[in-house]
Amino acid sequence: MRQANLWGLEMKRREFIHKSIKAGMALVAGTCWLAKKAVPRKFVRAVPLRKYPGSVGSLPDVLEQSRWSG
Amino acid sequence: MKVQCELCPKNCVIEPGQSGECRVRINVDGVLRTVVYGFACAEHIDPVEKKPLFHFLPGTPIYSIATVGCNLHCRNCQNWEISQANPEESRAVSRPPEKIVELARQANCLSIAYTYSDPVVFYEYTYDTAKLAREKGLRNVLVTAAYINPEPWRRLLRFVDAVNIDLKGITDDFYRTVCSATLKPVQNALVIAKASGVLVEVTNLVIPTLNDKPEQLRELVRWVKANLGADTPLHFSRFFPRYKMRHLPPTSPQTLNTARQIALSEGLNYVYIGNIAGKQGQNTYCPGCKTLLIERTGYIVVQNKLKEGCCPDCGRQIYGVWK
Repeated sequence: MRQANLWGLEMKRREFIHKSIKAGMALVAGTCWLAKKAVPRKFVRAVPLRKYPGSVGSLPDVLEQSRWSG
Repeated sequence: MKVQCELCPKNCVIEPGQSGECRVRINVDGVLRTVVYGFACAEHIDPVEKKPLFHFLPGTPIYSIATVGCNLHCRNCQNWEISQANPEESRAVSRPPEKIVELARQANCLSIAYTYSDPVVFYEYTYDTAKLAREKGLRNVLVTAAYINPEPWRRLLRFVDAVNIDLKGITDDFYRTVCSATLKPVQNALVIAKASGVLVEVTNLVIPTLNDKPEQLRELVRWVKANLGADTPLHFSRFFPRYKMRHLPPTSPQTLNTARQIALSEGLNYVYIGNIAGKQGQNTYCPGCKTLLIERTGYIVVQNKLKEGCCPDCGRQIYGVWK
């Protein structure tokens, strides 16, 4: 005769398989997430915008020594 | 859709239609775009000594360009009119990379400087121009605060011959309160640049009351010597009241001289004073026999006695790019 499930610890074979699959999937997802975080992300270049948002025109004579530092 | 810019340590997450902290890298429909590519807001032919670079092709003119924007917001910025400007409010000239290289060659410049604001924020423009310039036999110089992530920095340095990096202070607190940045990434960038074989010169702007105490200067010098080597040229530059620091006086010549003496006493071989009239702290001497090698007045090279990059008296090789 089957013993009573006094402590709620027993489960059917089907439940056990479901829980095992879930735990495995969580483990795989966690490992992937950790791996993604651990690897430095690759720098991606910005794409040039064709139109300048400010005004476009001429600048002071290039031979004039700049007033800017550097 | 948000995008993340991974160019500098700020790693801005940018909302659609917004820009990063630098003002020039924007999110357009989920794509990161640079608005200043091919548009220079400043373009000049300067003496290379003005960058300042004292150990790189002395006495030669350098084709210098900048765009608006900066990823730092230094309260003392000397070029704040362009570095802190919005592109929408600025004036620029169309200068694709090919045009810059062509103009530099026409002007008989041996090199191009990406300077004035900060080439980090016009990264793609700098990269493409530097690559093309290298192919055409020109050298490339960056004048930068080097607040950049390691991967893009290493990529860019492949096409760079010399850098002048602004080491603004030696405490994280200084970087946070004065520059809206942090110290460690700048130190990393300096070490990476040195290790990559690029000529490295360092500038420190000495600001009264903020980073001019002898112990602070000594700590900075010790870091430079320990991490970049005693041959790394160090420029102490004079501060003038600008932008959000108009309440402070200009750095006194005495403070700059003290800074130089500290650096020399700590064992740095090439220490200069900049942004100030006069001859003191402008010349290059042989660290071995103390012979005067390069005499300068302001940005003018009065005489250059180096022979094949060596001291004519004792034959010691002098750190630099001389031809």
